[in-house]
Amino acid sequence: MTVPSRVLALIGPLALLVAACGPAAPSGGVAPTAGATGAPAAATAADKPLRGGTLTFSINADITDMDPMRSRLFVDRNLMYQMYDSLVRIDAKGQIIPWLAEKWTVSDDGKTYTFSLRKDVKFHDGSPFDAEAVKFNLDRASKTEGSARRGELTPVDSVSVVDASTVKVALKSPFAPFLSLLVDRAGMMVSRKVVEAAGADFTRKAFKAGTGPFILTEAVKDSHYTFEKNADWWYKAPNGDKLPYLDKVVVKPISDGDVRLTNIRTGQVHATNTITGKDVPVVKADPTLLYKEIGAYSWDSLIPNRTKGFVFEEPRYIKAVSMAIDRQEILEKGPAQGVGVVAWGPIAPSHFAFDAGFKPFAKGDPAGAKKLVTDVGKGPLKFELLVSSGNAATLQLAQLIQSQLAKADITADIKTMLFNDIVTLQGQKKHPGMTLIGWSGRIDPDGNFYDHVRTGGPNNDSAYSNTQVDDLLDQQRAATTEAKRTELLRKAQQIFVVDDPARVWFSFGVAQLLMTREVQGVEPYPDQLPRLHTGWLKK
Amino acid sequence: MTQYILRRLLLMIPVAFLVTVGIFVLVRLAPGDPVLAYLGEEKDPVSIAAVRREFGLDQPLPVQYVAWLSHALRGDLGRSFHTKQPVIEAITERLPATFELGAAAILISVTLALLVGTLSAVKRNSAVDLLTSSVTLMGVSFPNFFLALLLILLFSYVVPGRIFPPGGYVPLTQDVADNLRRLVLPAVTLATASLAVNLRQVRSSLIDAFGQDYIRTARAKGLAERPVIFRHALKNALIPVVTIIGIQTGAIIEGAFITETIFFWPGVGRLAVQAIPSGDYPIVQGVVLVSALSFMLSTLVVDVLYAFLDPRISYGSARS
Repeated sequence: MTVPSRVLALIGPLALLVAACGPAAPSGGVAPTAGATGAPAAATAADKPLRGGTLTFSINADITDMDPMRSRLFVDRNLMYQMYDSLVRIDAKGQIIPWLAEKWTVSDDGKTYTFSLRKDVKFHDGSPFDAEAVKFNLDRASKTEGSARRGELTPVDSVSVVDASTVKVALKSPFAPFLSLLVDRAGMMVSRKVVEAAGADFTRKAFKAGTGPFILTEAVKDSHYTFEKNADWWYKAPNGDKLPYLDKVVVKPISDGDVRLTNIRTGQVHATNTITGKDVPVVKADPTLLYKEIGAYSWDSLIPNRTKGFVFEEPRYIKAVSMAIDRQEILEKGPAQGVGVVAWGPIAPSHFAFDAGFKPFAKGDPAGAKKLVTDVGKGPLKFELLVSSGNAATLQLAQLIQSQLAKADITADIKTMLFNDIVTLQGQKKHPGMTLIGWSGRIDPDGNFYDHVRTGGPNNDSAYSNTQVDDLLDQQRAATTEAKRTELLRKAQQIFVVDDPARVWFSFGVAQLLMTREVQGVEPYPDQLPRLHTGWLKK
Repeated sequence: MTQYILRRLLLMIPVAFLVTVGIFVLVRLAPGDPVLAYLGEEKDPVSIAAVRREFGLDQPLPVQYVAWLSHALRGDLGRSFHTKQPVIEAITERLPATFELGAAAILISVTLALLVGTLSAVKRNSAVDLLTSSVTLMGVSFPNFFLALLLILLFSYVVPGRIFPPGGYVPLTQDVADNLRRLVLPAVTLATASLAVNLRQVRSSLIDAFGQDYIRTARAKGLAERPVIFRHALKNALIPVVTIIGIQTGAIIEGAFITETIFFWPGVGRLAVQAIPSGDYPIVQGVVLVSALSFMLSTLVVDVLYAFLDPRISYGSARS
């Protein structure tokens, strides 16, 4: 009878001990696992890839939809990149590359795209991938009621089959970012047979629906998703190897960051693509792990409400906030802990239109901001900053911004709310001051802000309207060269960031990958999604 | 007794009805638009209107309620806004995991509470009693999420051998050993909070019993201490304990919200945790309704158990 009380007596103090020293000095407490070599130098590019094995990958939330047409969550795409192929893809530098479409031509007026398809592709259920399949998918995505892709495919007028391996897409008007849309969900191909057989269940039972490197064979919501190798996959490695190398991939949703990290460090999970800023120095110092990151398309911003009757109806106040904050300090001392890139506007470093010299408010300028507020002549600036609740890191970020603004005598009253409530409020343009909400990013710069600053745009939560910006944005959509688009996009950015500000952008995200040393051949992509078809496990 | 049970079952109908009205209104009183939560980054006015129609949220509240209730009465709780999965299916496929976790937690909690509570009561104010009191207090004070993380860190980095993995679930039918290994940490986490309550209850009920005349009589007639404790005192002290355990059984689902989330245990609690912030009304309504029904059933079972534990308790007519 004394045993239980002794056990209980032991657990308490021991647990406190772990709390005190565990997370703060984690590498010291790690017992080496059987799988981890602890020798980073051992992994060289010269290693010959090995075949076989099961790689376990953790995502930070459960997915809600496996149908590329219906999916609305970023996290869903982690699975999709393993099971589906799309017409085109991007390489690790963000350049569009052929995928299911081997090549394509664009008519001189920029309104017709003709795609030549690969002839050696089959869906996992055995049905053929051809021009009919492409037409079915693009029509389905652009015409089905409830399709989440309808908005982005608005420019498409019609899709026609030329022959079994050629398909023609006619646009209503020239739309330069068109190809970039086909990289992701709008361009992902699913088997008609599977979709029609599964009906409403397709959203969570998309078995054998793709043509991709892995075949979804088991889906247990909130627990795991199992993929088996597609032995007939068409894609080959640059060295001629048939891919994928892995026999199996298991994806596990683990929402708690500490638990996710512990699962990697104890060898329960091989890799993940979400690591909180505070853990990055720790994982970098851990010899059993490999951490990689590259700049991503996602951004963070403060969203004012420019609607009449609200504080930020006065654009100079937005500029004052933009001047007062010190973006470098936010990145380094905020919860990101240096993980990320300073942002001045929404065009990210991986975008072709990125302007490295665009640094309008190079350093925090509280004096300048103070002067601007005085010039407005309506007394001190005070506003409510709405922050998503339940996340300590977001609150910490808001407090840092608040303290920076205080140096310019700008008072930001932080108020926490459920994320959904904030989104609702700003969607109705009723948020009193600013909100703190980001964007997951798009491959083309157009997708990174057109809907956010164009008058009446669906994501224009700051109720911004500037006819010059609207004109420039529409012109770049019709432009046919990247050089011309770059010029127009940068002109627009100057206006909606500096001259007549729409928002306050302050940082870009990074694409992360954290892996055990066993994992080889996997690289981060700027869209933050894992490509496991090149991955293999070192024994 | 049969009449009593029938009467209680019938009484459940109006209560369940009130519960349905309550959840339906409360879920909708919470701020935040489920349509915007569902649409995420792709929210254009056409989609907003279409999805609002699809979810039936464009109808007046009473119409929505009657539609939901009439389906619910036929055993159809609707489909999740987000995953489109039928709510009944979403709940039933997660119930085994939740019940396994809940049952293990109650088993741990009750066993330890009986053993340690009895010891504390017998050795009242001794060092053992003091120690259990303080550990108990810690159990109550530690939030579940904190204790869960501590246990995960403890068994991942401090205790050698990594006997208990840091979360995850393997069905009992697939691998019994692995299932049990993964069950230990979440079950202990979940058991701790109720353990404290149960232990204090066992201890105080026993101390109460020790002061009763029949115990003094038992001791006076020369009965050994062991039968005095177990046969006389403990049995009589159990009634309030059974009540609490009954309540805890009924509360398995909501009790596991946080624990299931941290240990990525695919149970009903985790389902609700994901559904609440995103305004997935059908799921939230379904989980609350099932949870309320299980609560009502477990209190009924407790009341029936009383009569077996204490023959003096009997249930009469409706007049009583």
